[in-house]
Amino acid sequence: MLKKQEKVFLPDNMSIKKIAIVGNPNVGKSVLFNVLTGQYVVVSNYPGTTVEVSRGRMNLEGTDYEVIDTPGMYSFLPITEEERVARRILLNEKPDIVIHVVDAKNLERMLSLTLQLMEAELPVMLVLNIMDEARKEGVSINIQVLEKELGVPVIETVSTAGKGIEELKKRIKSYGNGL
Amino acid sequence: MAMDYKGPIEYSIELAVEKICDLLKASYFISKRSVALLLLQDDEEIREIVRKNESDTIDDIQKVVKEAKAHFANPITYELALERQNEVRLIIEKAVKIKKETIELRERLSRLTMNPITGIPILLLVLYWGLYKFVGQFGAGTVVNFLEGTIFEKYLNPFFIKAAAHIVPWRILRELLVGEYGVITLGLRYAVALILPIVTFFFIVFSIIEDTGYLPRLAMLIDRTFKKIGLSGRAVIPMVLGFGCATMATMVTRTLPTKRERIIATILLSLAIPCSAQMGVILALLGGNPKAMLIWAGIVGLIFLFVGYLTSKILPGERPSFYMEVPPLRMPSISNVITKTFARVKWYFIEILPLFLLASIFIWLGVLSHLFDFMVNLLKKPVELIGLPAEASKAFLFGFFRRDYGAAGLYDLNKHGLLNGVQLVVSCVALTLFLPCIAQFLMNVKERGWKTGLGISVFILFFSFSVAFVVNFILTRLGVIL
Repeated sequence: MLKKQEKVFLPDNMSIKKIAIVGNPNVGKSVLFNVLTGQYVVVSNYPGTTVEVSRGRMNLEGTDYEVIDTPGMYSFLPITEEERVARRILLNEKPDIVIHVVDAKNLERMLSLTLQLMEAELPVMLVLNIMDEARKEGVSINIQVLEKELGVPVIETVSTAGKGIEELKKRIKSYGNGL
Repeated sequence: MAMDYKGPIEYSIELAVEKICDLLKASYFISKRSVALLLLQDDEEIREIVRKNESDTIDDIQKVVKEAKAHFANPITYELALERQNEVRLIIEKAVKIKKETIELRERLSRLTMNPITGIPILLLVLYWGLYKFVGQFGAGTVVNFLEGTIFEKYLNPFFIKAAAHIVPWRILRELLVGEYGVITLGLRYAVALILPIVTFFFIVFSIIEDTGYLPRLAMLIDRTFKKIGLSGRAVIPMVLGFGCATMATMVTRTLPTKRERIIATILLSLAIPCSAQMGVILALLGGNPKAMLIWAGIVGLIFLFVGYLTSKILPGERPSFYMEVPPLRMPSISNVITKTFARVKWYFIEILPLFLLASIFIWLGVLSHLFDFMVNLLKKPVELIGLPAEASKAFLFGFFRRDYGAAGLYDLNKHGLLNGVQLVVSCVALTLFLPCIAQFLMNVKERGWKTGLGISVFILFFSFSVAFVVNFILTRLGVIL
């Protein structure tokens, strides 16, 4: 594609890896985004839209990442402007890692988007968030089996309490070197 | 990385996907398979991108898409969603274990809220406890009485009046600031002591309801009814907000997707949804008379449906479509509710306060120029026409600017035994249908533009009196004694 090449001219973007956080509304994307990026955050409207997109920086042992918090999306086939923007970010910004955050309590409702992202051959990681509530409700998820079935990394987190974040960072760092 | 996932899809779709993949020559960031599937689902954005990149083969691609679509009675999106859900179920079966009881209880509760037979009683319970008891009786009653009666009337107003007497030498200007309808003594008091607590309590209830996931279920419950009146389940939020403050709800109609829906919602909010202030007055007047209350509720409910149906027939435009993801029911978290309530109250206050101050200035001008006396006289005829004593005209005009004054006016008439049961019903119907307040009028104009806003308001003025006239006529003719 010829569009959106201008980003390449920014020297920063040459070495920085991009991470896009995607998922349904209300699954804790923004909390995860905040936990990962800390304070270096820019919120701006996505070009040509009224939808706000936050971008922040994260450093993992010397590697810089740009983290993008995308608007909520239910499906890879967009209906709302928010969903359209979320997908445009995936198409145009070519993230190195796509973190799909889901509510572990409602995995069944959300896994369809994971499949669609994988179908698109995007570099997906699946984050099962809100694990504490899921456990409380008697939902137990076998991570190893899920990883095997999907063939992508799966990480459990409770982003509001910072649980599982270290593991997530480790997996981001080693992403691309096998599961 | 094992990234060779191919979704399990129906054979004829699979065939079309393969054909399209062969025709796609450019490279896309996402897989060709994914591009092909999106094309089959009529994704316009992707179609444009492909059109730009595949000038040679685009016609062939379009042909494949068209043929594949002809194969299915349902949209391909639907077929794909079904297949994917099956795949998801298989994965879930292997990897997830769920203790049965919890999910069943939750699921059962969720269904109860969406099934009309159980859902409507649940809605009535929510309205009764949430709106009537908590917002109406406690918020608009107890708390407002304390803030208004004690804090403002006893301490703040006397203080400001005294201060103004010292500082401001001109009587007219003093009137503007601290007079009976002054910017401070009326506008600020009204906004801070009356509206602020009511709205705060309302937002607490609203945030709790929202946090539990009840709203989308409510939207599903009344979507079909709303479709008949030109709206969709999406309009549930502005309509529920309307019971708190119609002015604020009118602002929230911005979330409705089409201009047509926004206009219908604005009319219904101004006309047939009583805001908490109106509700307070009506409850006070009809509280002791359940039969009259029932008649009032029936009439207003009918008008809501009837006018909605009529406007949706008259206004051109497409009928709304609505689909909503229903999130799981959950216990609301207190901190969440507090944060949301605070943010909303703040937003509301910043938007509304200027309107109240402006209204005070209007009243000041109206009294000063004797325009009000003139209008009270003008209103006497229609008021008599709907079977009310001429004194009620003052209550209506002032009620438009200052709800409590209008209420007090009617209340006094009632206390002095000047209103019988039928007249009470008639005046309450007129009061409900009438624009709730001047802030609502200003908001209609602000959101819908001068022409539409003014048009809606004039329509409501005539309509509310006409309905009141008809109601009075029928009830009197039937010899109803309430």
